[in-house]
Amino acid sequence: MRRLLPIALVVAFFSSCGGPGPDTSGVPDLPEMTVAEFEAKLAALDRPAVVNVWASWCIPCRSEAPLLNAAFEAHGGEIEFIGVDVEDNQPDAKAFLAEFGLGFEHVFDRNRSIPNRFAGFGTPITFFFAAGGELMSTHNGIIDERGLALGIDELLRIDP
Amino acid sequence: MEFTLLWAALTAAALGWLGTRLWPAGLPDRPADRLLGAGAIGLLVGRIVAMIAQGTSPLLHPGDILVVRGGVHTAGATVGALVAYLWSVRGEIRYLDAITPAALLALAGWHGGCLWRSACLGVASDLPWAVAGPASVVSRHPVELYAALALAAAAWAVARLSLRPMLRSGLGLAAAGMARLLTEPLRLSLTGGPTGWYITAIAFGLVAALAGPRVIAPRARAVT
Repeated sequence: MRRLLPIALVVAFFSSCGGPGPDTSGVPDLPEMTVAEFEAKLAALDRPAVVNVWASWCIPCRSEAPLLNAAFEAHGGEIEFIGVDVEDNQPDAKAFLAEFGLGFEHVFDRNRSIPNRFAGFGTPITFFFAAGGELMSTHNGIIDERGLALGIDELLRIDP
Repeated sequence: MEFTLLWAALTAAALGWLGTRLWPAGLPDRPADRLLGAGAIGLLVGRIVAMIAQGTSPLLHPGDILVVRGGVHTAGATVGALVAYLWSVRGEIRYLDAITPAALLALAGWHGGCLWRSACLGVASDLPWAVAGPASVVSRHPVELYAALALAAAAWAVARLSLRPMLRSGLGLAAAGMARLLTEPLRLSLTGGPTGWYITAIAFGLVAALAGPRVIAPRARAVT
């Protein structure tokens, strides 16, 4: 019994990190957007943009979400952040946004036509666009803090 | 774990193994196995701690644990590796002192593995050795290579110290923290980096080296 006690305490500690599902009542449906509409949106931007492709079922996206929030908080005033939710459904997508509190704009792309247009593969993907919508670089797969910071720094040096 | 990280891990493992060959004095049997096993456990512990810090339950999302690129908590990984190694040698501090140079060389390999990951670059610089990444015109400090060189130099220096209990391990921990702390301003960061943990490692390492034999491990034996 004494040997099981530490294990039980560790399990209880880890379990306490979870909890009931997030409250999605305050999260609106994500607007659907076509490729043409998305390209027009990027072209109209007068500042660079970081576009992150995610999905609620994507395990690495969970690890990326806090990092994207940190980047948005640090650079949201000078760079546009846009999330593109792909191959997902609205309830799960809203639960994901509620759980991580991602404060920037997100669009819904059920057929993943937007990342396909920019030749990204897999999920997650992070695209870095200059002002006016020119694609500068693509990071396929999960991006870490240094990679995201480097991509942002490159954008800021193109469009000061 | 994605393949580029795997190559960095293999570089660390190779240099750790080399370290046990270069500085074999006082090592336990199968030192490279113990070192690599402790490193792997440290990586998992660091990842779990990072998940908890991000508010994600490792029990509810166990698959996340393997997403190493999602973040590894530096202090958690260090403590996890230290405890795992000490457990493997039944708490004999002298074996920790003996493995310290190899561990520092392995850490240098992990940082040098940035070459396979295209992740060496830091803040912009006009210095002659600054390099630009692919499709970029901005020259940058190869900051992870600086850290790798500093850690390799620390491994070499620590290996020249005596095997007095906790001298090598304490100064090795302090040197690892110092190598990271001094290079941190040259890294690009969104969160400021874990400088508090580096300072803690330096302080703890120096205390352990100076007072360790009396305070932390009064019954530890030096390698004879």
